Amino acid sequence: MSVTNVTTPSVPAPARTSRIQWHKLAPYAFISPFFIIFAIFGLFPILFSGYISLRNWTGLNPPIYIGLNNYITLLKDPDFLNALRNTAVLTLISGPLTIGGGLILAVILNSKLVRFRNAFRTIFYLPLVMSLVVAAQVFGLMLANPFGLVNEALSRLGLARVNFLNEPNLTILVLVVLIVWKYIGNDLVIMLAGLQSIPPELNEAALVDGANPLQIFWSITVPLMRPVILFDVVLSTINTFNLFAEPYSLFGVTGGANQSGLVTGLLMYRTSFQFFKFGYGSAMAYVVGLIIFVLSLIQLRIGTRDYER
Amino acid sequence: MATYSTSAPVENRVTMRLVQVALYVILIVAAFLSLVPFYWMIMSSFKPLNDILTIPVTVIPPHFTLDNYTNLLTQTLFLRSILNTLVVAGSSVILQVFLCSLAGFAFAKYRFRGRNLLFTLVLGTVMIPVSVQLVPNYILMAKIGWLNTLLPLIIPTAANAFGIFWMRQYMYSVPDELLDAGRLDGASEFGLYWRIVVPVVRPALSALALFVFTTSWNDFLLPLVYLRSQETFTVQLMIDSIFRVRFQQNFDLLMSASVLAVIPMTLLFFTLQQQFVAGLTLGSVKE
Repeated sequence: MSVTNVTTPSVPAPARTSRIQWHKLAPYAFISPFFIIFAIFGLFPILFSGYISLRNWTGLNPPIYIGLNNYITLLKDPDFLNALRNTAVLTLISGPLTIGGGLILAVILNSKLVRFRNAFRTIFYLPLVMSLVVAAQVFGLMLANPFGLVNEALSRLGLARVNFLNEPNLTILVLVVLIVWKYIGNDLVIMLAGLQSIPPELNEAALVDGANPLQIFWSITVPLMRPVILFDVVLSTINTFNLFAEPYSLFGVTGGANQSGLVTGLLMYRTSFQFFKFGYGSAMAYVVGLIIFVLSLIQLRIGTRDYER
Repeated sequence: MATYSTSAPVENRVTMRLVQVALYVILIVAAFLSLVPFYWMIMSSFKPLNDILTIPVTVIPPHFTLDNYTNLLTQTLFLRSILNTLVVAGSSVILQVFLCSLAGFAFAKYRFRGRNLLFTLVLGTVMIPVSVQLVPNYILMAKIGWLNTLLPLIIPTAANAFGIFWMRQYMYSVPDELLDAGRLDGASEFGLYWRIVVPVVRPALSALALFVFTTSWNDFLLPLVYLRSQETFTVQLMIDSIFRVRFQQNFDLLMSASVLAVIPMTLLFFTLQQQFVAGLTLGSVKE
């Protein structure tokens, strides 16, 4: 019942005499339901998380203030450093693949050279509909050894079957394939929206001047799409640092063989909700949040500087 | 294409033809890769477990069966989880669309003290990862006794920062004259929102609704953190728990559950593709 109390906006009936007053109060009444929930479940937790991160708090014991100890431990924690490294590698491989792939598909689907563009577009959006959990299960089945589809294909080609899900060296690769498959449609949407702002006369003029499509791509499309690409880079970095369901479903909470698939999202979940180290988990979330923030700033700075030049 | 290839030299036309073939090859290969997991999920859901776990792998089910589906529906709480998810996704849609559009309307169409500050405050939290808020929210939910209920999946997400941004952008397109006319006719401020604004921005509302529904339906982390007993599980959590029961050996139930979890989303996608794409750009292009 508290649901209805929180969410129904309190809208007093407009009294005839206080018409002007009410007009001034209306916006506050309109935003207050949103802001009450935002304050309790959005804003307060961000601050409270900082408070918790300075404490030793396991959920069983009362919190004990320990200053910056959680942060100091964190910087020497091999699991955390491993998770950071894995996440960085994953970002560096999957980012360019989804963004580049999305851009290439968008350019093709934006050109008048091919037909059935709507049908292809629909097909590329389709993986976005499948949930991460389901996608991970289906990929798990397809990559299984020996009865997976991929291993069957390998053996038909005369190659050895591969233990994709238990081989530490392949963990990141499996995640990359899943991410690219799942999210390329998202990048495609962003890129298509960006391409529509490029006047088609530019390409046509270049074609008349004898430029080939590859030249047009590199000298017209890519430079003009720079802000969109940059935005997409920031977005995909944030997404990778928040990655959770894919590695959890495919490799479990440990992150697979030798923790080779342990990413920051998994480690944060494990620390806070399996070991219930709330203080330590909060410190970790703060540091990861800070890393994302700084990375986004750097990317935006580099991007705009080059763009203005 | 025809317009410029006629004016271009013959040599150019040949390269164009080659480029065209290359583009088709890229598209067809990519489309094939996009579709294979769907095909595999559907086909495997019609195979008895034995056929899934044997080599050589069969591309078409040799012994077609619907047993996986009947077993799923009779042996697990899958139907219950669908119902739970509908409750969560449905309430989230109603709450978020209402709260975000009402607040977005205020931000776009009223001048008031603290408007910019409050809006910046909301937008500033967009970049902060969910995990920062998760621990405090978990503790809060434990304190107020909401753990193992569907409420923590519905209420906190109602204050969706993306949603408010998206709605505000759309509200700018509502002509002020329309609102003034309504005021002259004696409409209350809420009446303006309800009878004039809502009908005008309906496309934006449905795009947001679709986006919220999809996010809610496919969410995994929040249900995993907040829910403990099977009766409360959402679809995604149920699939994960089917997977964990008999580790990696129950692909029969898993694939039929996956098909059933994907069907509603796919149907929505095909019937409302325009809004769907608009909803996707919602989380993406913020200019």
